[in-house]
Amino acid sequence: MIIVQILINGLLLGGFYAVIGVGFSLIWGVTNIINLAHGAMALLGAYITFFLFQEYGIDPFLSLPFSFLCLFIFGYILQRFLLNLVVRAQIFMLLILTFGIEIFLVNFMTTFFSADFRSITPEYAGTSFVIGDIVIPYIRLAVFAICIFVTFLLSLFLNKTWHGKAIKATSLDLDAAMMVGISPAKIYALTFAIASGIAGVAGSLLPLTQAFSPSIAGSLTLRAFTVSILGGLGRVEGALIGGILLGIAETLSSYFIGESYKNAITLGIMVLVLVIKPTGLLGKKYFAEVKH
Amino acid sequence: MKKSILLFGIFLIIMLCLPFFVSGYWLRVLTQTFMFAAIATGSNIIIGYTGYPAFGNIAFFGVGAYVTGVLMTKFEISFLATLPFCALSGFIIAVLLGIPLLRLKGHYFAIATIGVMEAIREIVDNMTDITGGGMGLTLPIMAGEPAYIYKFFYYAIMLIMLFSIAVAFIIWRSKFGYALRAIRIDEDAASVMGINTTVYKTLAWALSAALVGIVGGAYAYWLTYIDPHTAFETTYSVKMFAMILLGGATTVLGPMIGAFILELISEIVWSKFIEIHGMILGALIVFIVLFIPKGLFETFKGGFSLRKIIINLKEYRL
Repeated sequence: MIIVQILINGLLLGGFYAVIGVGFSLIWGVTNIINLAHGAMALLGAYITFFLFQEYGIDPFLSLPFSFLCLFIFGYILQRFLLNLVVRAQIFMLLILTFGIEIFLVNFMTTFFSADFRSITPEYAGTSFVIGDIVIPYIRLAVFAICIFVTFLLSLFLNKTWHGKAIKATSLDLDAAMMVGISPAKIYALTFAIASGIAGVAGSLLPLTQAFSPSIAGSLTLRAFTVSILGGLGRVEGALIGGILLGIAETLSSYFIGESYKNAITLGIMVLVLVIKPTGLLGKKYFAEVKH
Repeated sequence: MKKSILLFGIFLIIMLCLPFFVSGYWLRVLTQTFMFAAIATGSNIIIGYTGYPAFGNIAFFGVGAYVTGVLMTKFEISFLATLPFCALSGFIIAVLLGIPLLRLKGHYFAIATIGVMEAIREIVDNMTDITGGGMGLTLPIMAGEPAYIYKFFYYAIMLIMLFSIAVAFIIWRSKFGYALRAIRIDEDAASVMGINTTVYKTLAWALSAALVGIVGGAYAYWLTYIDPHTAFETTYSVKMFAMILLGGATTVLGPMIGAFILELISEIVWSKFIEIHGMILGALIVFIVLFIPKGLFETFKGGFSLRKIIINLKEYRL
């Protein structure tokens, strides 16, 4: 029975990983930038939710749109006025640049919000429903539902709206997109903004399920990266599958091998997938990769 | 070429005499600068020459530190005798990992090396019996007066730096280095020309890992205390990359110059802003990438001018 509980925990955790990963994967797929500041941006969302709850007593779930909006604006400005300036440089320049941003943000948060571990416990935190031996906390279920909903919305946006289609077009062929009147600078900024916004939402969900501090930014980015690798770049549904696979793999390995090897196992899985099947488990080349 | 060798000679003589004139504080700062210069020069063999962004090369620094630490505490081997083992362990690990990982390119390789670093850190963290785990490892302290110890490490780490530069220089001038540059520019073409790219890449990474490993060993004995977080410090990776970028990745001395500039800036500027020094490091990196992405060497070849900075800014924009 315990194995079912582990699988369900993994599934619920995987929903969260999917939302962390989907934005990262979108930025990578469309602009070919590895955003190493992704985890730090998610933490900004976490702090927004945390402070709104602590200072004004606003329910964490209600602060999601606000956190999305803040990070959306932040992401737009960042891409439009900073990343767009170097987007054609060699890849390791972009890596080091986003790492610079990560260091900046993490130290900013440590200085102004302190390095303490924080979490939110609303009144309904302890409630859960029980089937036989299996316990499912309502909060985790709600987080999972929101995660699915967000990925669904993103998928809808990319496939149905003009801007979404423009993003996909830009990623498939930059020159052709420019020829039909799409401004790549704006589309890159929009992509980055949406992805940051989703990172903010993911961050806002974080304090509900675990304690956080600026120091976990790196491990969040790592999860996002692994999810992107597992699911394939820029693929929304891929990120969902990748996230759930990662969540289950982590909970299983924590149970059977030990909690302290969790990161090593995540990385092991990632390196294995990279070496065996570099295009991700879903296996199609997509978006930015087509160009190369 | 002659001019730069002459300048390097003068620089060397100054550095050799310096310990007799400056305070212990600056001796320490310079020792740390040498250490970073050695790391950056060693890593540049894979990063700059071969074009594989080994972001997690600090992994070998940590491995070196722990090899020295464990050999000295558990087997009571003398410090200098442990250094070859540091190099050897770095070399072997890089060969074993290089065979699968060097098939990856660009982003994938960069992140895979970060993965390797985190994984090695976690393994070290969990092998409490041998490495002390999270409690860290305390090395025997060197006998002698503090002033003597300071000078010893100053010269020792300077020697390691010079050794790294010498190795990097020999590689640069050799046929092997020529092959590495060919791989950077076009790997497929290099392969067609008859270069066994897998062997060359793996060897380049292994050599760079060996050099970084030696630095790690010296670092462990210098600090006399290491734990997984100081030995596998992620910030070092970033600093190393920033130094290579600042000095210029396609030169032998570039990384060293980058290390000196960045470390001295950090001592002069950050020591006044202890609280926000991380933020300044982040901002500085952003600045370097934006304005001098080709490194100081390339950018200011014909003299300094503001126009060159502005041209750089326009070059890579969308």
